[in-house]
Amino acid sequence: MIVEDLITASGAQPLPDNGLLAGGVYALADAGDKSLTVPGGVEASLVVVHTRQDESKLSIELLDAASLSIVVLCEAGAFAEIDIAQHGRSACRLTALMLSSGELACNASLKGREARFDMNGAFVLTGSERGRIRVDVDHLSPDCSSITLVKGVASGSSYGRFEGLVYVAPDAQRTDSQQTSRNITLGADARIETSPQLEIYADDVKCSHGATVGQIDGEQLMYMRQRGLSREQAQRLHIEGFVGDVVMHSAVESLQEQLSARVGAKLENIR
Amino acid sequence: MLVVKNLHASVGDKEILKGIDLTVRAGEVHAIMGPNGSGKSTLASVLSGSEKFTVTEGSAEFLGRDILSLPIEERARMGLFLGFQYPVEIPGVTMANFMKIAVNEHRKYRGEEPLTAGEFLRLMREKSAVVELDPKLTSRAVNEGFSGGEKKKNEIFQMAMLEPRLAILDETDSGLDIDALRIVATGVTRLHTEDNATVVITHYQRLLDYIVPDYVHVLYKGRIIHSGDKSLALKLEKEGYDWLINDYREE
Amino acid sequence: MANDSKNIIEELESGDYKYGFTSDIATETIGRGLNEDVVRLISEKKGEPEWMLERRLKAFRHWQTMKLPQWAHLDIPRIDFQDIIYYAAPKSAKKLSSMDQVDPELKRTFDKLGIPLEEQMALAGVAVDAVMDSVSVKTTFRETLAEKGIIFCSISEAIKEYPEMIKKYLGSVVPYADNFYAALNAAVFSDGSFCYIPKGVRCPMELSTYFRINAEGTGQFERTLIVADEGSYVSYLEGCTAPRRDENQLHAAVVEIVVENDAEVKYSTVQNWYPGDREGRGGIYNFVTKRGLCRDRARLSWTQVETGSAITWKYPSCVLLGDDSVGEFYSVAMTNNCQQADTGTKMIHLGRNTRSRIVSKGISAGRSQNAYRGLVKVAKGADGARNYSQCDSLLIGDKCGAHTFPVIDSRNPSAVLEHEATTSKISEDQLFYCNQRGLSTEQAVGLIVNGYARDVLSKLPMEFAVEAQKLLSISLEGSVG
Repeated sequence: MIVEDLITASGAQPLPDNGLLAGGVYALADAGDKSLTVPGGVEASLVVVHTRQDESKLSIELLDAASLSIVVLCEAGAFAEIDIAQHGRSACRLTALMLSSGELACNASLKGREARFDMNGAFVLTGSERGRIRVDVDHLSPDCSSITLVKGVASGSSYGRFEGLVYVAPDAQRTDSQQTSRNITLGADARIETSPQLEIYADDVKCSHGATVGQIDGEQLMYMRQRGLSREQAQRLHIEGFVGDVVMHSAVESLQEQLSARVGAKLENIR
Repeated sequence: MLVVKNLHASVGDKEILKGIDLTVRAGEVHAIMGPNGSGKSTLASVLSGSEKFTVTEGSAEFLGRDILSLPIEERARMGLFLGFQYPVEIPGVTMANFMKIAVNEHRKYRGEEPLTAGEFLRLMREKSAVVELDPKLTSRAVNEGFSGGEKKKNEIFQMAMLEPRLAILDETDSGLDIDALRIVATGVTRLHTEDNATVVITHYQRLLDYIVPDYVHVLYKGRIIHSGDKSLALKLEKEGYDWLINDYREE
Repeated sequence: MANDSKNIIEELESGDYKYGFTSDIATETIGRGLNEDVVRLISEKKGEPEWMLERRLKAFRHWQTMKLPQWAHLDIPRIDFQDIIYYAAPKSAKKLSSMDQVDPELKRTFDKLGIPLEEQMALAGVAVDAVMDSVSVKTTFRETLAEKGIIFCSISEAIKEYPEMIKKYLGSVVPYADNFYAALNAAVFSDGSFCYIPKGVRCPMELSTYFRINAEGTGQFERTLIVADEGSYVSYLEGCTAPRRDENQLHAAVVEIVVENDAEVKYSTVQNWYPGDREGRGGIYNFVTKRGLCRDRARLSWTQVETGSAITWKYPSCVLLGDDSVGEFYSVAMTNNCQQADTGTKMIHLGRNTRSRIVSKGISAGRSQNAYRGLVKVAKGADGARNYSQCDSLLIGDKCGAHTFPVIDSRNPSAVLEHEATTSKISEDQLFYCNQRGLSTEQAVGLIVNGYARDVLSKLPMEFAVEAQKLLSISLEGSVG
């Protein structure tokens, strides 16, 4: 049901057998291992949905100046790996949402000059779920840029983990990289672990990372309550905004509404 | 003091200075004016030894010595001071610490004993008064968090500390309100003596109301296309550069 | 900060490793290698009671079951633990009662190191427990301290004279099974310092231990134990230098600190062990375990300036057990040539309203590798825990590496934890600016690096800060231009 809704909303076309994407929107649902190529200069979008507890590996190659927007939705405990190899001037935007237990590992290799990788993701965990998002970005060529922003919400007795690694190879000068992990824990038994790492072997680089674990800001809470919201409402609003931001900037715009609905349903489970 | 002959300089493949001739004698004040992108700041950078530019032709002598092959710091110790248009911030390095090393390096170059801590502090107090620089700023990191006006005052303060033979002030007036401009200009004038010289690079005539130049040069497309006395600045103020540039185009 | 720029310049000009001389003192050693007999022999040489020997043997037996840790971002050559001499002491093992009895050669060594062992120390207000190789040679000012009830002596003496305290505290913060090197140290430690500050006492002077590896082919395994009883305060300084040798030497120390309710301890280290030569030959392997335990409202502050050693593996940590306790870690780690460092801290928040702060400044030059590794852990009951971490890296040249490996682990919804990191290099504009003002590039780099490290240097006691600044400049020698 979810899958059909999403795929219909995205207007996806069937995936060609040779794995060469020719532009437009494609979709994959619980598709197992797959290799795809975005030919030089082609712009394409890809919707990937995981609804089963299985393992899968998706390998994608972006040739020169190719551009790919990916939305990954993980539900029901999938173990998913996405390898993205990017050639010169290619651009990849990735939005990842994890709304259940599971693991998602994204590896981006920026192999050609001026490649760009822009990832924006979130996990929302409730009950006793355990989820992990791992993002490795390898800057192997000069003048590449990457942005990684992963938000985490862990409630109940769930355990959420972010592991990030930005690797800058010896000759990858003028790398521009940002890596951010923001997290909220709700409930006395929830646990968040985050480890944003940098491994840098070039000197002319702009690399920064940041990580926070926290809760709703006291002053914001006070302000909202002063305007009549209950503590719970204020908190809910805050978290909606926190995760909603990721959906708002989803790589495939036509999916925003569907994704919002999924996130909304998940947030209902938080108490 | 400074004799520049047919100076050409480029950055990458692009030639920016295309044959500058300029002679500055002790006791003189020169103003270099010209529209944006004419090469004014480049000239200041090249004379002070910036490695961004390559000198392709010509010569520059300072105090009788060819300076073009000398490193930046040696030119500075000889007494060539550049007041930067955009003074850079150096986090964590206090002004006092920075200046103490700078002053003592200049002294060492001249064969003088380094200043003691007490002498140095006295000198700092005395000189910060010249530009009405808040003495508190000297305990802060170099230019860090300074306002635009403070940064420029700080440049003149450093000039006062180092007592250069030749000061080249690159757009020292830009971004200053009228009070700061007066303070900076008064400072420069007070530091001027028979033995030193000042080259003021500016966009506007208003600075020259305070710092009265003996010569005014107009730089355009990498060449000095016109020189005159202070009345030239007034004329430029009134009539702009067009009449000169047109002349030049016709040439 | 009073910065003696002239000295920095002189140091820069004189270059290289200033402390690379060896002293020609008769040294008593035992053969290479490690087995139970060696552990027994060490204990016997030191005239230890039976219970101490038992502890050593227990640690040794456990050590034999342990594996070398491999997780650090370090390329560690194989260390043959059977090719190390585990005990070395200057031969005049007789107890010294006055300055005159100190071996003149040894005194000269300390003079060269700049340790103010003589009367001027009174003026400087520093009491030094000087450790040369393994035996504590001379402890000064013990009487002054004794008046306040402060104990400051070698750990071997403490084992004999204060056995109850040692039994209670030794191994209480760093148990022998903690890690490979801590176990090794617990089995073979030869000496070190013990310090006890009684309830409510503010130690009137900064306590300082200079360690120095002197005898060739020896490892150094000191053990330091500091106990700050309720409401007390002490500032403790540790400085390290070692002679220049072509072979590598192992240094595996353990520092344990107990900070009781309302007490405060500041522990400052300037580590300048011999880093090896430009090609990476020789140098100290510095594998150190440092940890402190804070009870209610206690405060522990680690400050370290690490410029030496071929390999540094070290994570001074705070266990914030008591409510409202505070842990701090301020670090400058500089690596040049072929040095490697993997250093950082662990802040373990167990009590309520515990706070910690981490400021780490890494500087990599030459072909060195420099990693920050940190853990901030908030346990379930640690309501209101706060941490702020800032980890910056500065790269000088394009052949070195700068790495940041933080882990934040929060199990409490009320925790607020923040980590930030930046990576930068010295900009051409900054160098040009300094050059224009008459500074050489080397001076400029030294100055900028000192500025970059200022937040940490300012946490050091004055004399140490000046020395640390000089060290940063010396260590950068040859890294630019």
